[in-house]
Amino acid sequence: MSPELERLQRWMQEVVVHPGTVEEAVASPAAKGEIPADRLGEIVLPSETMTSSERIGVYHGMYLMRMEEALETDYPVIRYHLGDVAFSHLVEAYVQRYPSRSYTLNRLGDHLPQFFLDEPEWPQAAFLHDLARLELAMTQVFDEQESPVLSAEELEAVPPDAWENARLEPTAAFRLLGFRYSVIPHLVAFHEDRPSPTPRRRAAWAALYRRDYSVLRLDLSRAEHDLLKALAGGTPLGEALAVAAQSQKSSRQRAQIFKWFRTWIAEGLFTSIDA
Amino acid sequence: MSENRWSFPDLGLGVGLRTPHYAHILSEKPDIGFFEVLTENYLDTGGRPLYLLDQIAELYPMVMHGVSMSIGSTDPIDFDYLAKVKALAARTGALWISDHICWTGVLGRNTHDLLPLPYTEESLKHSVERIKVVQDYLDRPLVLENPSTYLEFSASDMPEWEWVARMAEEADCGLLFDVNNVYVSAYNHGFDPVEYIDAIPGDRVCQYHLAGHTNKGTHIIDTHNDHVLDPVWELFGHTIRHVGLRATLLEWDADIPPFEIVHQEVLKADDWRRQEVANVA
Repeated sequence: MSPELERLQRWMQEVVVHPGTVEEAVASPAAKGEIPADRLGEIVLPSETMTSSERIGVYHGMYLMRMEEALETDYPVIRYHLGDVAFSHLVEAYVQRYPSRSYTLNRLGDHLPQFFLDEPEWPQAAFLHDLARLELAMTQVFDEQESPVLSAEELEAVPPDAWENARLEPTAAFRLLGFRYSVIPHLVAFHEDRPSPTPRRRAAWAALYRRDYSVLRLDLSRAEHDLLKALAGGTPLGEALAVAAQSQKSSRQRAQIFKWFRTWIAEGLFTSIDA
Repeated sequence: MSENRWSFPDLGLGVGLRTPHYAHILSEKPDIGFFEVLTENYLDTGGRPLYLLDQIAELYPMVMHGVSMSIGSTDPIDFDYLAKVKALAARTGALWISDHICWTGVLGRNTHDLLPLPYTEESLKHSVERIKVVQDYLDRPLVLENPSTYLEFSASDMPEWEWVARMAEEADCGLLFDVNNVYVSAYNHGFDPVEYIDAIPGDRVCQYHLAGHTNKGTHIIDTHNDHVLDPVWELFGHTIRHVGLRATLLEWDADIPPFEIVHQEVLKADDWRRQEVANVA
């Protein structure tokens, strides 16, 4: 190992990732723990046009810009809702708590829903937690492995007496979500370039899935969500449908269940059936 | 002037594969020598990016260019990452795998920047050992790019070009010679870029990079957001006279214009390459 190189790298990283000015970064306890602030000029040479501080400041200045660019890619709706200044403030706080530990920036935003749970006093934290869950799930569905889709022919091949205990398996690119806040209108407003609505506490449910490599969404009722959750969780078909039927009061409502089921099969939410 | 020692082919002119150009490439199938893919963009996805990459890899030669190998870091080598890099190379048939002479983080963190090394005997020995381990694992030579840097460490006891040449020889690795980076670092640190180029062992150079940059007055940032500037083209001419013809790639990563503009920009390199061939003849 290289002790001097190790120390130099620890020091430079502490300076680069510090959220304050470069002068504050160099004077921070973490950086000073490696190299005293008054030795900056001995470590980094000045150039003809820049001081030592300005030169390391180039790296320091680019760090948060890069983090913000990456998070904006994964959370465009949150950025749209918050605006530039509030989003920058969020990024600064977030990367202090959850810095990148991956070889890819694609994982940087994985903890954003958790961040809003960690920081319940953050403005609109509960709403932003739900919106972050939606956007994170969209990214996950986009990147999941491709799965074969259960075909109508495969379903028809299931013997009638095997339906009761048959279990469905969802595709890898499937996510089921329940929200305390109505976040879908914010996604729609972003795509239609309309002002982001005021957050409203109202339960909502949705399924995300992928078809032809595009991320799609089905907005669901509570009953649809519960049935889909049971099926995706491996509950036998007969049991899941019986529970769903009990929750529907009229025969017309109960007939809806089969319509939902046909839609989910047609949309390609499942990859196989174990009958 | 010579070939590189591994006989990696001169693939002609290529551009970096970028998302806004996928549709154009697949529909128009432009006449271009090769594409360079940003390795990390394809390591953790089974979705559209990989689906399209597979199609493009069927049509064109591919090389891979990464930003997270962190070859100069004092953190342990990430073999999970290397396993994914190796698998992607097998999938795309990448002719070579490149990354940068830099470190990106320590203590398990990644700043996602290409941070500079001090050019010391200590950092040289450390990097050479790691390059050998990586090459053994990947079972192929690693190709490393000279960085653009914005500071110099007082601890450096040799010029960058000497460190880079010794690294390549002692680790027995390849070089991706970025002409724009030499220009940027020469401007920022006040050295002669021609002296740098003349010190590079040509038989280890497998590929060239060209790119645009942003002059801030006091320093230049390697922004990859514009056309290649004339002084960089001049240095490119000097480089191919010293090293020879190699696969030449234009990087355009910010404010990305339509594919035709990027393509036209890299085609300018053909004038310099033809001139060199004529001189040799």
